Amino acid sequence: MFDAVFRNFSFLMGGLLITFKLAACALAGGIPLGILVGLGRISKNKWIYYPVTYYVNFIRNIPLILVIFWFYFVMPIITGSSIDPFPSAVVSFIVFEATYFGEIFRAGYQSISKDLVNAAFATGLTYSQTVRYITVPIAFRRMMPSLITQSIVTLQDTSLAFVIGLPELVRRASIVDNLEVRSIQLFGFVAITFFIICYTGSKISRYYEEKVRKANIL
Amino acid sequence: MIEIKNVSKWFGDFQVLKNINEVIRQNQTVVVCGPSGSGKSTLLRCINGLEPFQQGEIIVGGVKVNDPKTNIYKLRQKIGMVFQRFELYPHMTALQNITLAPIKVLKLSKKEAEERAMKLLERVGIPEKANEYPANLSGGQQQRVAIARALAMEPEYMLFDEPTSALDPEMIKEVLDVMIDLAKEGMTMLCVTHEMGFAREVADEILFMDYGQIVERGTYEEFFKNPKTERAKDFISHILH
Repeated sequence: MFDAVFRNFSFLMGGLLITFKLAACALAGGIPLGILVGLGRISKNKWIYYPVTYYVNFIRNIPLILVIFWFYFVMPIITGSSIDPFPSAVVSFIVFEATYFGEIFRAGYQSISKDLVNAAFATGLTYSQTVRYITVPIAFRRMMPSLITQSIVTLQDTSLAFVIGLPELVRRASIVDNLEVRSIQLFGFVAITFFIICYTGSKISRYYEEKVRKANIL
Repeated sequence: MIEIKNVSKWFGDFQVLKNINEVIRQNQTVVVCGPSGSGKSTLLRCINGLEPFQQGEIIVGGVKVNDPKTNIYKLRQKIGMVFQRFELYPHMTALQNITLAPIKVLKLSKKEAEERAMKLLERVGIPEKANEYPANLSGGQQQRVAIARALAMEPEYMLFDEPTSALDPEMIKEVLDVMIDLAKEGMTMLCVTHEMGFAREVADEILFMDYGQIVERGTYEEFFKNPKTERAKDFISHILH
């Protein structure tokens, strides 16, 4: 029943690898940028706060697919040179996901009491040392379940890179479908693959949540 | 010496500190008391630059706190602070809480910092809790770790902001004993507290604050036996009953 899938298995798995690569790059850039965006969103410096807030509000209120299109089709017009789908998709995802991660980190930072930060300052730690050793690690631990959930969403979102011709899993399934005309099994296979990966991820998130709660360390 | 000169502070339209003038001399232990909302905690936070103020100046050990040219981080190394709700870093063990600033700020080696931390934990009576996380410690133990954390920077001054108000009664003594030892060793201390037993035993002077002003200043005997103002009399009658 999965004959078309088996015949093209290595081609499809190659697509899954690209899906993973894109998601990995999006997270490797989006989470660190999100840490900074979150800091900008609680900044008292208006030269930092307003630009970051406008960026977050703008990106969060347009569909991801437009961000992907925009980078891929508009950047070459501006820069004068064409751009490959993969780096273009990576930049789009980092810019997009960083706003979501930024809001998660902002909530995490805001869950930390002002006096805990004051306690760090009182020992002579600087702002950047306090952020690095206190604020970010605590926000990271507290927001871990949300961060895992958003990472799963990011993995699912990567299939949208299909629209600029990036040969990730969905795109490759579609290529095979054009040759073999086995839509149900091919896209069924893609759905099952995503489901297994994402369901496992959400289970890990739940497990971590329980572990932190039981260990009572935060 | 901590010199507070003509300090006023507003939160919006509300004036929390009204023209405060005080001097805390070296090796003095001064207790600050007064009703809640009278500005006691805010005054402490102005001394180590955690809160800005709009008027006046504060000079700690010859260094002006509210001078943009002052390296406030360096000044804070000399001023330890202990908070009402302990404020230990929840993701670090007691030992890591104490060694963080000595390692990152004073650039001690991990080994030196840990030796110093263990000595302090012995001094506050809980060396066996070194590797516990704050959530597994009682309130009194957490507060003693917090004191050790402040002392690890070898400060010249210590600020205590209601260090026993969040504690169960049976744990208050273990924290006060540590503070009494510190005072007797000659630490310069400014303590916001309503523990009058502590005040009687070690306070050189008591400051009574109300509505953002220092209403009275005197020794324990002067303040309790012979309060000059109605507000102080009223306050004393409430805390002793």
